[in-house]
Amino acid sequence: MKPEWQEWASQAKAEFPQANSALMPLMHRIQLVEGWLSDETIQDIADLMGVTVQYVESVASFYSLFHREPVGKRVIHVCVGLSCALAGSDELMHNLEKRLHIKEGQTTADGAYTLLEAECLAACDKAPMTQIDLRFVGPIRPEDVDTLLNKEVPS
Amino acid sequence: MIQLTIDGQEITVPAGTMIVDAAAKLGIDIPIYCYHQALGPLGACRMCLVEVEKMPKLATACTTAVSEGMVVRSKGPAVDKGRRGVLEFLLINHPLDCPVCDKGGECYLQDYTFEYGPGNGRFQEPKIQKLKDGPINEFVLVDQERCVLCQRCVRFMGEYVGEGQLLLEGRGVETVVTTVDHVPATSQFTGNVIDLCPVGALLSAPYHHKGRPWNIEREESVCPHCPVGCTSKVTAREGRVIRMEGRPIPDREWGWLCDRGRFGYDFGYHPDRLLTSWVQGVETSAAMATRQVGQWIQETINQDGGSAVGVIMGGTHTTEEAYQVQRFAREVIGTENLAISRSEAGYLPRALNGTFDDIKKADMVLLLGSDPYDAVPVVHLKLRERWLRYSALKVIGIGPTRLTRDTLPGQDVITAPEQSAAVMALALATQRPEDANVKTLLQALGDFSPSGVSPETLTELGVQLLGAEHLVSLWDGMDPAMGMVLAVLAELREKPTPILPTFGPANWRGWERAGFSAHFEDLTRILEHARDGIIKTLLVFGADLMNEYPDRALVQAAFDRLDHVVVEGVQPPEDSPQVDALLPGATWAEVYGTYINMEARLQVAMASVQPPGQARPVKTYVNTWAHILSHPLAWEEDWEPFDEDSGELLPLHPAPLHVTPLKVPAAIDGDMILITGALIWEMSEPSEILLPRIPALPGRINPEDAKNLGLDIHGGRMRVSQGETSLVTGMSLDPRVPKGLLWLPQRMPGVNTLQPGPIVLSLAKEEVTA
Repeated sequence: MKPEWQEWASQAKAEFPQANSALMPLMHRIQLVEGWLSDETIQDIADLMGVTVQYVESVASFYSLFHREPVGKRVIHVCVGLSCALAGSDELMHNLEKRLHIKEGQTTADGAYTLLEAECLAACDKAPMTQIDLRFVGPIRPEDVDTLLNKEVPS
Repeated sequence: MIQLTIDGQEITVPAGTMIVDAAAKLGIDIPIYCYHQALGPLGACRMCLVEVEKMPKLATACTTAVSEGMVVRSKGPAVDKGRRGVLEFLLINHPLDCPVCDKGGECYLQDYTFEYGPGNGRFQEPKIQKLKDGPINEFVLVDQERCVLCQRCVRFMGEYVGEGQLLLEGRGVETVVTTVDHVPATSQFTGNVIDLCPVGALLSAPYHHKGRPWNIEREESVCPHCPVGCTSKVTAREGRVIRMEGRPIPDREWGWLCDRGRFGYDFGYHPDRLLTSWVQGVETSAAMATRQVGQWIQETINQDGGSAVGVIMGGTHTTEEAYQVQRFAREVIGTENLAISRSEAGYLPRALNGTFDDIKKADMVLLLGSDPYDAVPVVHLKLRERWLRYSALKVIGIGPTRLTRDTLPGQDVITAPEQSAAVMALALATQRPEDANVKTLLQALGDFSPSGVSPETLTELGVQLLGAEHLVSLWDGMDPAMGMVLAVLAELREKPTPILPTFGPANWRGWERAGFSAHFEDLTRILEHARDGIIKTLLVFGADLMNEYPDRALVQAAFDRLDHVVVEGVQPPEDSPQVDALLPGATWAEVYGTYINMEARLQVAMASVQPPGQARPVKTYVNTWAHILSHPLAWEEDWEPFDEDSGELLPLHPAPLHVTPLKVPAAIDGDMILITGALIWEMSEPSEILLPRIPALPGRINPEDAKNLGLDIHGGRMRVSQGETSLVTGMSLDPRVPKGLLWLPQRMPGVNTLQPGPIVLSLAKEEVTA
């Protein structure tokens, strides 16, 4: 446990009428620094929030933006929902895999990128679209993967 | 009370009742997966849809509470359509592998699909594949493809047991039941999720692919391993016990079992089981051995009279068997030297004995030296359920270690070893100094003041002891003085003061009912008389005295001196060359009989299988011996342990109160002091299935002591020395044990070679294996 987490926990708890509600903001804040949530981190968060490990693990596994394995510096989610699929998300994913030399679900050897698929991200107007870290980016034509990778995306 | 109509029938139920329970009272079955009365409503599975008049849509019967004048229809086209739809969804990713599923034939998904489900689904896409037969732990397997996500298992472990070791991981169709961090679940109660699982997702590992409902026979039984006597069902196939399940009894038992009881059913098939007879180290026929023993008894009676024979009862014998032995001993041999193999010196008169129903009414629970999680696990669950329903429940542990737990919180009064009784008496004296009984108790204590317990604590404890409305005590039976203090307490309080004895053997109350003395002094006297040559022949039924009696040296001396030691049982006693005859006995599940549990409740266990090899019931032995002794016993009528007046509980006999002054507890000097306690894993007959869960590090010491002694933080092996004797055993670090103490399970082999008191602890040198 990092020393500052104690304070983050009390700050998060103070923001909500029910302390339990602070769980996800705290998880996000910790993940932002740590990059992912290890078993130890989950245990620490459970202790900080006074809930069971089981509870924290259920929450972490439910949401696709919490990572239970180490990820690269940038996490690319490719939307594979219906609109994006019709607009060519398959090909986009394929091109990204070829360009990064990894398969979906993997992280590049240099730790720069992690490539994941996402169920519908509710931005069909941007189809085919991706989410880089926490930002929506699209539409991206399948052949424009280099543009995507070079794009400056505010975190 | 609320009146409503279900399917045209009127019923009146208390407010807050769910429709599903009201319907059950009318005998109307509403299909459910997620709902369980012990866990409360959830509404996750949507299977229990019913039509409620004036409600726009179908309602879930398990989450809708009854209201006045409600009209419910549990059948009809709308309900059928709703349930059909739910089942079609539940089956989208189900593998439909019923032909190879252990639950096939006893599965609610099968039953309800047959009753309400669609003939086939419209979903054409490939099914999602998940983990099959993955481990929850050594005993429980999970098939995630068959799971309907009802969450019974997750909620049972998390909410009811309080050990959140199972969880739902993932989202949507990808959701699976798994263990936290994917490490095996270690709770004492994991096996219950097999009974709770309404489908084929959670399976018993030892029963995996062992039988189907049409291959097996089920008999109602009682778990024989500890004094709780949990109601259970035994599954047998082709003359072999292959499973044990819980047996719920409406309004009394949920049917929970602990893992030790549920999976320890294989002791009858242990490779060491005694299947043939042995006389003086030579294997022989059953007839020869029985005749030889009969002659020894005859010789002893001829030379020294019947009272030179001692009879000791133990093991998993039923009340009826004890009665048969008792009649043989009294009528044929003519001896009064009858005792029960006990490990603790205390005794509880029937008059003070409470029932599990008392737990449901308790406002305060005293744990007197007894940690129910370790000693009588299912009682721990009962206490926890009371605490969940009545959060003001006060739990107070009194003993040398912490006895409350995270799952059963309360306060602890940590006393020095062997001072608990004095602490209780002094606490009473703070409130009732003038009471004659209290005065007698304190008479000899002088100015004794208990170490580590302040006068304020004593006063507070005294106030609570007398103030509680319904005070339930769980007592480990270690110190007879505590029994006396409890009797005084019960007399002093004019409110219910039920006591539950957590000590064994499991059926000691039954053997007492049959005519055996349950007093430890009587057992000790028989052993001393044997050592002194007054008793010449000892007949031991089921008991392993060498490990059960707390002072092994006395048993050893008695066995050395006795002319004849005859042991009937399931397991040959370890390393006992003094045993002259070993007779294989029939055991639990092989004989019909009654067990009487720690509530003094009589419960019948049916026979499921035949005894193997030469193993035979006790009655066969005593009948043969009675013939040899020319005094055949007539058994015209079966003796019944039941009593006309008492029903399921043993009749109450008033116990006169004899109060004697408490002795000043002897000061125990030493840097490390040994104390012992009950641990369910180390009790009763050994099982092969349980081996992977028997604690490798059963000893417990304080982490600070461990650090000072150089013990690894994850525990390790240590040598416990006391004078000439020593024992090497695994130790774990436990902050519940105070500094300066070592806790060992009292029934672990070898522990009774040491006596509670000062010991020396050192790291065990790693043994070099060639």
